[in-house]
Formats: sequence, C-alpha cells, structure tokens
Amino acid sequence: METQQALSIQRSDATQLSNHGTTRSLSSPFPVHHSTSEEKQPRLLDSQQSSTNGTVGHIFSSSSGTSSDLHFSTVSPNETSKKSPFTTQSSGVLRSTAFRQFLKENNSNSWSTDSLSDFLDFPENSPIKSSNLQPTDNGACDLPPVDFPKPNDWQDWADQLITDDDATTPNWNDILVDDTEPKMELQVGGSSTNSLELKQLVPSSPMTSIPSSCGSGSQSKPRMRWTPELHEAFVEAVNKLGGSERATPKGVLKLMKVEGLTIYHVKSHLQKYRTARYKPEPSSDGLSEKKPTPMQDLSSLDLKTSLEMTEALRLQVEVQKSLHEQLEIQRNLQMRIEEQGKYLQMIFEKQCKFGIDHLKASSSFTLEKSEAELTNEISSSPVLTETDPVKIGSPCEEASSKVAKKQELEVEVEPSESQPSKRAKLNESSTESS
Amino acid sequence: MKFGKRLKQHVQETLPGWRDMYLNYKDLKKLVRLISSSLEYGKSEAEFVYLLNNEIEKFNVFFMEQEEDFIIRHKELQQRIKRVNESEQSSEGEYEEEMAKIRKDMVDFHGEMVLLVNYSNINYTGMAKILKKYDKQTGGLLRLPFIQKVLEQPFFTTELISKLIKECETTMDVLFPTVVVTEEMNDAMIMMAGEGIFRNTVAALVTMKEMRKGSSTQSHFSLPALNLPDSEIIRAFQLKSPIPII
Repeated sequence: METQQALSIQRSDATQLSNHGTTRSLSSPFPVHHSTSEEKQPRLLDSQQSSTNGTVGHIFSSSSGTSSDLHFSTVSPNETSKKSPFTTQSSGVLRSTAFRQFLKENNSNSWSTDSLSDFLDFPENSPIKSSNLQPTDNGACDLPPVDFPKPNDWQDWADQLITDDDATTPNWNDILVDDTEPKMELQVGGSSTNSLELKQLVPSSPMTSIPSSCGSGSQSKPRMRWTPELHEAFVEAVNKLGGSERATPKGVLKLMKVEGLTIYHVKSHLQKYRTARYKPEPSSDGLSEKKPTPMQDLSSLDLKTSLEMTEALRLQVEVQKSLHEQLEIQRNLQMRIEEQGKYLQMIFEKQCKFGIDHLKASSSFTLEKSEAELTNEISSSPVLTETDPVKIGSPCEEASSKVAKKQELEVEVEPSESQPSKRAKLNESSTESS
Repeated sequence: MKFGKRLKQHVQETLPGWRDMYLNYKDLKKLVRLISSSLEYGKSEAEFVYLLNNEIEKFNVFFMEQEEDFIIRHKELQQRIKRVNESEQSSEGEYEEEMAKIRKDMVDFHGEMVLLVNYSNINYTGMAKILKKYDKQTGGLLRLPFIQKVLEQPFFTTELISKLIKECETTMDVLFPTVVVTEEMNDAMIMMAGEGIFRNTVAALVTMKEMRKGSSTQSHFSLPALNLPDSEIIRAFQLKSPIPII
C-alpha cells in the first residue's frame, strides 16, 4: 500500500530516467548515495541503458493497462525464455515454492515479468515468506537454509500481486525502470520507504538507507550508507551542539533533519567520529610504535633522514596510485564483460525463439535467413563478442548448433588462443578478435 | 586452484582485521563439487545461492563500515591540515613536525582506501569464478543473472571511495615538496616498503599481477595480463617475501 504509493509517485521521474538515462532524475526519487559523484554513474547507466533499452522500452509499451500473465510473458521473450530452460532442466526436482523464490531473486532486476507470472501462479509463496525473517544484531539473518533472506518488501508486493492485479501493473513498470538502479535501492525494507518518498522533499541531503536483507521488524537496524555530504551535515549539527563530546545523538538527529535517519545511525556514527578525533590516525598497523625516535627530534635529526622519509612516502603513494589505477581498469573491464554477456544472451535468445519458430515450419530457407540475421546482429554488437558458455534448453540448442555450424563454415574464424569451451559456440564465428 | 591459492596468500598478507571478511572460496568450491555429484539439484542450488547471498551481505556490511570510517577520517585530515596552516603561533619545527605526521597519515589513509577497493575487486573476482565453476560443473544457468545482481551491490560500487582517493591524491600533490632522489634514499625506501600499509599495497599489487597471469581457461572474456612498470620496489618485495611467488 504505502510502497505502492511511494513507487507510483516516482513513476513519472522513473519514466524520464529510462528515456534520458540521466542520474539527476534519479537522485530525488531514489536514494542513490553517489548521486553527487555523478561522473561514473551516468556512464554506467548509459552503458546499461544501451543494452537494456530494448527490453525496458519493450515492456513499457506493451504492458499498459493489462495484467494478464500471458501478456507479460510474451512481452519479454528474452526474460521468459531465459528462465524456462533453466526450469526445464531441473523441472523434476524443484517444484518447491521456496526454490522458485530463489530463482526470482536471482533474476533480480530483469525478473519482473516472469516472476510476476510466477507469483500469480503460486499464491502460497507469500505466507511462507512472512514468517521466516528474523532480525539479528547487525542485520545478518539466521534463516533456515531453504528460505531466502530477502526484504519484506517483496512480501508486500507479492501480497499485492495476488490480491490486486490491476494496481500491481504500474509497480512492475517502476521496478523495471529500477533496472538501472543500484541493487541496494531495491533492497529497501519497510522502514526505508519513507526515505524513498521523502527523498524528493529533502534533495539537499542525499542519503541512502540500505536495510539489512532481513528488513522485517528490524526498523531500528537498517544499514546506512553514509556520504560526505551527509557527514558534513552531521559535523555541522555536532558543532552547533558544542562539539563531539557534548552533542547527544538525539540532539544531532533533530538538528540534521534528515528523513529516514534513525538515532541508531547517528549514535554509531557519533561513536566513530569521537574515536577518529581523539586518536587521529592511529596508523592501523602500529607502524608508529616501530619508530623509536620521537617526532619532536625530527627537526634535530639529519635532514637526510627526513628527506628519506618524505621520499619513501612519495614512493608509497606512487605504488598505491598504480594499484588503484589497475583496480579501476580491472573493474571497468569486468563490468563490460558482463554487459556484453547480457547483451549477447538477449540477442541469442531472441534468435533462438525465432529459430524455433522457423524450425517448426522446417524449411532450410528460413534457417539460413535466421542465421544471416543472427550474423548481422552479432557483427553489429560491440567489441567483446564471445558469450559465456551458455547452456540453453534443448529446443534452442538444436537450432543454435545448426546455426553455429553453418556460420563456422561460412564465416572466417580467426583462431583464438583460448581453449574452446565444450558448449555450443554460437558466437565463435562472429569473433573478430581484438 | 590458482585463484584459491592467490586468495589465501592475499588474505594472509592483508590487514589483520580484514582477514575474515574475504570470500570463502575454498568452501564454496567444495560445495560446488558436492552439488555436481548430487541428485538433489534444486535444493542444493537453493543452498548454494543462500550461501552466496550471505557472503554478499558480509561484504556489504564490512565495506560500508569501512566506507563510513573513511569518510570521517578524510574530513578529519582536512581539518587537521587547515588547523596546522592556520595556527600561526607554532614554530617552524613544530609546523614541520605536524605536517610530517599529517603526510604520513594521509599516505596510509590513501593506502587503506586503495586496499578496500582491492578487497572489493578480489571478492568480485572470486564470486565470478565460483559462479562460472558452478555453471560449468552443474550445467546450471546461475551465473549470468546472479552476477548482474552482484554488480549492483554496495561492495562493488566503489565510486565514492575512488573519489575520496582522488581527492586525497590532489591534496598530497600540494603537501609533498619536490626533492631529488639519491641512491642512498632508494635503499632506505626499499627497506620501508617492508612495513605497514606500504607492505600491504605492494603485496596487493603483486597478487593482482599473479592472478592475471594466463590461466588454463583463458578466453576472450578473461582479463589481460597485468603489465606493471618494473619497479625496483616490487622486485625487492618479491625477493623479500617468504612465500614463494612463482
């Protein structure tokens, strides 16, 4: 109910987001901790946008006003078919509702449509969920192995889905748009929906409230992601109250006037703050203890030693800088790899479905046609072009292996140094390796 | 087993408080083996996913705690610099002394932040690998969707920390006077590389290089080998290290 409203308020903004791919419209409706550090975020979003645009747009256009399962499943063939081979494999074993939940949660951001149909099929899901979450101290969950530690948000939505078909449709659209959001936004528990709504009202203090994955009942313990701006506000409040020793959590909380911030957050932050002030940089490795020479004598020591010290520090910084640089490069590569994989998976499944339809008609002409289309699509895809070995359901596999073989014969394949994987190597042919 | 070994090494060499916060790669690998030979496919997958999610939660909690600390310390360092520059009563010696302390603290702070980014990256890599193993050994389709979720977790979204790191670097450029380096200095510096945060960061860099050496499953999806400028420091570190790095 509350959740519903919260999300529908943001719908217009969210719609903008999917069209423009900017972070700005993001920062008000959805708590994004790094809304201020927009340099990286838009790039990430943009890249995600480009790969998911088709999906999102697709769903938006076709889901207006209808709430039937069938409609949803046809809307996003890629989503559904991605899931179905999986279930086919394990169909004999996994009829348990709990496992279905796992599946859904795994297909997190792109799961909206197929999970929607699942929810509607298995109304017994919701009661199971609600009884199992137990809040613990730091938010970690002690759950029986079968059930899944997820926020009760999903419970609410599941309930709504089962009881109120029409109203849920807009929600799923919103969640779809959340596709490009950092996942943490979706892990919002009951308590932080406030912050979702009120983010619009208090845009100047960007804050993200990230509850522990067991959101139910643990209203006082949601995990908070601090930002420098928020910290500034905190420091200001503390100073107004007479310094870190005199300020009380309650007072600070009141002064800060940030919605969604609890006294628990402020308390722990204040503690950290006090420690940091009165033991400035304790040199966590205890290096300072290793140096017997007290700092006062530094000026009277050999000038060379102090220069050495400074140079050593400089060198340390250089090493650290290069480590950081490498880490950033690595991270970007990793993200691009996954993005590629996602894109290719989508293309592949599209073609797969297309291929199956044509197989049914069983004409070789159409197969060649689909293969040509596939080649076109793949050759137009960006640089990294080999999919992760994706094992697909049996009908698909036939089509793909046929297509693959034809492509391998026709298209010149640059021999790659990599060891060929054992699965269908559909895209091997399209690899114009870098 | 290569990644597992490297991870173990890294964990041994990392900051003491961090040792328990890394991915339980070995145990997860064992579980994957178990699952691939078991018949109860559906239930085991559920358990596997449950464990993975626990790991993710662990990373997130730790990461956000550290991040919060860093935000506080960052501000504090800035305050200290401001105070030192503004207090005109102190003598030249005292000023220098305080600045030296600040410099040292700043450099270590920078290092810790980089190590946190490294932590994030190693755990992500581990997750990607274990998921790949899972798919390969059980024929599942878990990897692709699951990794999408991981990409959005707080522990992987390190943009804020990177921003703080860059700000730190800018400040340090100002703080550090330029000096000509002599040969004797080099030796002293190499000695210092064996201690503290410096040691950790050099170790992390070396580990990274090792991890990215060609593996048996190298493909177009693998990261290229790491080419670091052949710094004396790194070589010296490798010689000093008791763990044989092949």
